[in-house]
Amino acid sequence: MKKAIFILLIFLSLLNVSCVTDDTCTQTRYVKLTAGFYHVNYNDTTKVYSISSLSFDSLTVRGVKLNPSTNQYLLVDSILYNNSKNRLSSINLPLNNVAPQSKFKINFNAVIDTLTIYHSNINDYLSLECGCIITHAIDSAKITNHYIDSVRIINHDVNTLNAENIRLYK
Amino acid sequence: MRRIFVYINSLLFCLTVITTSAQKKKQIVMPPDSTKWMNGFTVHADLGALAIPSLSNNVLYSMEGGLQLDLKHKIFPTIELGLAGANKVTPDNSVFKTNGLFERIGVDFNLRKKKPDSKPTNNLFIAGVRLGTSHFSYNVTNVAVTDEYWGGSQILNFTNQATTKVWYEFVVGVQVEVIKNFYMGWTIRNKNLISQDTPGKVAPWYIPGFGQNNGANWGFNYTLGYHFWPQKKQLKNTKVSSVQEIKNQINKK
Repeated sequence: MKKAIFILLIFLSLLNVSCVTDDTCTQTRYVKLTAGFYHVNYNDTTKVYSISSLSFDSLTVRGVKLNPSTNQYLLVDSILYNNSKNRLSSINLPLNNVAPQSKFKINFNAVIDTLTIYHSNINDYLSLECGCIITHAIDSAKITNHYIDSVRIINHDVNTLNAENIRLYK
Repeated sequence: MRRIFVYINSLLFCLTVITTSAQKKKQIVMPPDSTKWMNGFTVHADLGALAIPSLSNNVLYSMEGGLQLDLKHKIFPTIELGLAGANKVTPDNSVFKTNGLFERIGVDFNLRKKKPDSKPTNNLFIAGVRLGTSHFSYNVTNVAVTDEYWGGSQILNFTNQATTKVWYEFVVGVQVEVIKNFYMGWTIRNKNLISQDTPGKVAPWYIPGFGQNNGANWGFNYTLGYHFWPQKKQLKNTKVSSVQEIKNQINKK
């Protein structure tokens, strides 16, 4: 009988071990497209093209959203970069999770270009605590050529890895 | 020179002690083990699992029982079967729900060695291994995805997801015969998942029989069991005798 009481005591002490589980998400949920700015130089003497990184002192970036009722594009209330003075050589842009295209108005000082990204959205379930994030696969990209000359896709997968996805060439 | 003499003397003394003790060891004779190979079996239920719902705020439940063969009172092949489930709601109101069967097979070894002149006992100190499997289906529902910049949200439901998980366990514990043929005991288990989640697939939050899908878990079982068909009076005749005792008994006769 003493042995039974001993076993019961050990069992009761182990019952004190908490069974409560942690509900905090420790994984990154930050999904943004990264666009880098580059300048293409042509050397007349050597006749060779070279590419160098370009940075801007004054940059304003804002999303442009289609209003389905009026079928007109409207600026999103929140401004992504507001006359940024940080000498930016790349920008991070959130793509639309529920639509297949995302449009951004980029102000290079006084010159405005509109960048349009066509993409597919992918549900990426992380865990019960972290829920689901939407990653994207870029299908194509285009830009009005007021300041920027061209756009090139480097990496089609837009996910949490924060790799450079597109390059904007001046 | 004197030091060498002392050294040789001490060495000889050591050798004498070792030889004498070796001779003494040789004199102890263990009688042949009279324990049968098949020594019945124990059917047990995990009473500790009954406390899981109250400990987990009714998120988890588990029921399990097992059958343990007794081979020579040393080796205990074991099979454990159970039913477990979870109904977890996160602070974001996402819901994970599962109910599934699980099974474990393995073997325990009795680590308790018989000491000379000790009382015969059926109590066990065991260590063993298990291989566990569970094939189960689960639902992850009401997963909200909101777009903080562009606006809009959607609710995702992943229903009828099915998977098979395999894991291994290291087990230690004790079993004590509290009343004749009734055994009470506990085991502590270190569980390690072999099956990995497929990237991109909706992974289960909970695995029946294994616990939360963490890669490794600790488990505890508190069991009550009944031993069927034990070998009768097998332990009472296993007293260890020395050669001298046997000689004395012969001389008396």
